[in-house]
Amino acid sequence: MGYFGLRSAVKISQRASYTGDHMSIIKNVTAIAKGMGITLREGFQPTEVENYPDGKGPLRGARLEQRFRGKHELQRDENGLEKCVACFLCAAACPSNCIYIEAAENTETVRISSAERYAKVYNIDYNRCIFCGYCVEACPTDAITHGHGFELASLNATSMVMRKEDLLVSIKTGLPDANKVHAEAVS
Amino acid sequence: MPDVNFIVDGKKLTAPAGTLLIDACKSAGIEIPAFCYYPGLSLQAACRMCVVRIEKAPKLGTACTTTVAEGMNVTTESPEIAQARKATLQLLLGNHPLDCPVCDAGGECELQDMTFKYGAADSFYAEPKNHREEQKWSPVVYFDRPRCILCYRCVRMCGEGMDIFALGVQNRGSSSIIAPNVAPSESPDHMAALDCEQCGMCIDACPVGALTSGTYRYKTRPWEMNHVATVCTHCGDGCKTTLGVRSVNEGSEIVRGDNRDKSGMNGDFLCNKGRYAFDFANNIERLSSPLVRQSDGKLKPVSWEEALTFAGKKLRELRDAKGANSIGVIGSNRTTNEESYLLQKFARTVIGTNNIDHHRTADFVTLATALQGTTTADGKPRFASQRCVEKSPAILLIGGDPTNEAPLTAWNIRTNVRLNKARLYVANHQDIKLKRQAKAFAPVAEFGYAAFIDSLASANDFSTAVKAEEKLVVVVGNELRGGELAKLIAALPHAKFALLADYANSRGASDMGVLPDVLPGYQSLKGSTLASEYGAAGQSQVADAPGLDLLGMFDAASAGHLSALYVVGSNPIKRFGIDASALKNTFVIVQDMFLTETAVLADVVFPAANLYEKAGSVTNSYGDLQLVAKAADKAGVRSDFELIVRLADKFGHDVKTLVPFGKGLRAAGMSGDMGQTRGAQSGEADRHSVWLTANNLEPKLSPFDPFAILDEIQRVVPGYDKLLRLQLLSGNDQHIAPAASGLVQIQTGRKDLVLPAADTLFTSGSLTRFSPMLQDVQRHQASEHTDHLASAD
Repeated sequence: MGYFGLRSAVKISQRASYTGDHMSIIKNVTAIAKGMGITLREGFQPTEVENYPDGKGPLRGARLEQRFRGKHELQRDENGLEKCVACFLCAAACPSNCIYIEAAENTETVRISSAERYAKVYNIDYNRCIFCGYCVEACPTDAITHGHGFELASLNATSMVMRKEDLLVSIKTGLPDANKVHAEAVS
Repeated sequence: MPDVNFIVDGKKLTAPAGTLLIDACKSAGIEIPAFCYYPGLSLQAACRMCVVRIEKAPKLGTACTTTVAEGMNVTTESPEIAQARKATLQLLLGNHPLDCPVCDAGGECELQDMTFKYGAADSFYAEPKNHREEQKWSPVVYFDRPRCILCYRCVRMCGEGMDIFALGVQNRGSSSIIAPNVAPSESPDHMAALDCEQCGMCIDACPVGALTSGTYRYKTRPWEMNHVATVCTHCGDGCKTTLGVRSVNEGSEIVRGDNRDKSGMNGDFLCNKGRYAFDFANNIERLSSPLVRQSDGKLKPVSWEEALTFAGKKLRELRDAKGANSIGVIGSNRTTNEESYLLQKFARTVIGTNNIDHHRTADFVTLATALQGTTTADGKPRFASQRCVEKSPAILLIGGDPTNEAPLTAWNIRTNVRLNKARLYVANHQDIKLKRQAKAFAPVAEFGYAAFIDSLASANDFSTAVKAEEKLVVVVGNELRGGELAKLIAALPHAKFALLADYANSRGASDMGVLPDVLPGYQSLKGSTLASEYGAAGQSQVADAPGLDLLGMFDAASAGHLSALYVVGSNPIKRFGIDASALKNTFVIVQDMFLTETAVLADVVFPAANLYEKAGSVTNSYGDLQLVAKAADKAGVRSDFELIVRLADKFGHDVKTLVPFGKGLRAAGMSGDMGQTRGAQSGEADRHSVWLTANNLEPKLSPFDPFAILDEIQRVVPGYDKLLRLQLLSGNDQHIAPAASGLVQIQTGRKDLVLPAADTLFTSGSLTRFSPMLQDVQRHQASEHTDHLASAD
């Protein structure tokens, strides 16, 4: 603002010298004062900087937008069963080819998902994931979503391959209270 | 039929009168969608997807039942037709569950494709869908009733194609359902079940995911696999099977077998074994490291280098100490032609003995010698191809039971009779299933085929009818061998002949000379150019005298005259019922996938790759040569080809004389500079490669490249010299006839040397017990009370 003000002031003063109008000096000073006024006023406002990682709460001061695409979460349905039916559509949609799935069939005694099939192995390689969200778009059962996990950096590349156990929401946090008791009893 | 002219979508087309409109359009590149129409099966007109506008017809007509006519003007795509098809789809989707994400057919479903094309995903029906639990009809066939769209393809495929009629339609109208032939009340577990040949053709034909395969269910999705079309390892018919493979920790695993490719000579067909019995390759009992017998008498895993060095050195010691003829080599009828050829070359030039044989399942030597030099009435060779069975106007089947032993032959005979009105004559000692298609049946006493051949000379109804046939193809079961077979061939002088054998490459093993008394291509041990070439390549002159046959080797071992035995992919101890003590003083090397009855007696065991894990070529029992493509891969195993070469190296043999590879390539009969020592000429055109090209050869860089030996096979084996590389490498079959003069008739001392495997639809030699699926199906078939196959007559 100040810069633009100054530039226009110079232009105007040039024009003023051609015309010989001395009132323009006052105009220029006013413009500068106005610009600096805004700068100063903003300087006394409270800071908007996030205090990560020294802030309060589980996010340690980080503030994330609702639609932030962080580490994936594999969701559960209202009965606590996994929503993922191992259809492989996320793996097919993935442009960086980072999703690996092995499917298996639910039996009468071992029921993992509500459909015939479930993901026995579900790995996401975060070395390769570009957080594009295509997997979430592709998922027909809303099983995979982007969570807000973002502290994924590691010095060890092998630890970047997350398994199903790392991605799956726990029954405790992933369900409304009313369903928890039932789901825990089932599992 | 005369050609007629008609117009489709403004294009002027011509097709023979009587062609179905849907077929005529397809050959002109215009696709008309259809669920119920299946080429080769009867017409159903059940699905109404193929409706088209035919000018002057009052309403839309079905292209699958309309034949083309002169001046016909057809529109295949218009808003009106799209609306009709969309309405059909909406009706079909009325009760079809939208569970595509879990459905096995998702991604290769015709209903899915059509819904995508015509956009009928929204339904007008508010009523809930009628759900039914999935039914397990057999270990390999599952039925999901709500997914069924009642196209009746499975019913027709099972009835018309397979001649089993195990599937039918129950009820009428909207409550119609496909039902199997064992009702819940008849079944031991009170569930509907299938008692049939378990071929899985119904699954292949199903346009949706109503019928799914028990071995592939819910394992993966179609786009997640690589699809490799290769030749089935089980019987001698040479079907192509498309293997779906997926990467796993140990290499790549076969997840599915089916006939998706349809490029083989089996056309639509694939049997139970070709479709499901690939699971032996994933069996946990597979050997994955070489074993050497220790001083305590136990087999212990050791490194490859250690095992190969030990085996090669020991073999060399025994050869030098006890003589080459104290060593025996047994080949396989499941390895490729290249491996079979290499093995007999190993025996003859590296060890220097003719003691080489394999488990023979049919007498190809007699077939080759008896047919040599003779032609049919129109001057063609008399070796029949699998294609002849499919096309010939008349077929004579003597002995054998193709339905069980050679399912593709049976399918081709049935298809030929059904579609081309071919005349089938059957002579058999049993009431085989193909009798139903036969025009005439001649009962033969068991072991009475000699008398039957004599009766062909006399004038009875059967022989008169057979002899009146001008283009006759004779398919001979493996009951006929030696003199009887030769007499039969002489009795029908103008017919083409084929011999049914077991396993993927029985014919190839014979053609490649894995026999003690003939060289590759049934050439004489004495005086042939190949014999002198082998003499030059080997460390000692190849003996003129025939070596020991398979049983002779074990007799020699019992007598203590056999110092070493090298067995490649074979289980003679079990097959021929040989007493294990016969080998107690013999040094035995075995290459196999599993610790078989023979392998447990070995001093060195090498884990070998199977036919699905290597490249090369195989020859089916008819002599049709086909390419084997490498599909799966397993850590810890080596191909038999590589093992033979490395054993020869450790034996102290110059590997370049065994496999022509790299610089300094030596082709026999061509001595001197072929360009590889170019020197002064360097910088000029590569004369070596010019020479190789001119002689249909190509330079090979690796001693483990099977095509290096294919060059040699092409050069020295009669019949195989005519093979076309382009055909082979494109995956097409070509018919090979060992057509050289000077083929020799051997003297078979013992009749039991040819031992048919007697496999059924659910067994495959030693592999049976390593295939959990085959075991399951056998249990399933045994548990059904009534024999529906027998009672279907």
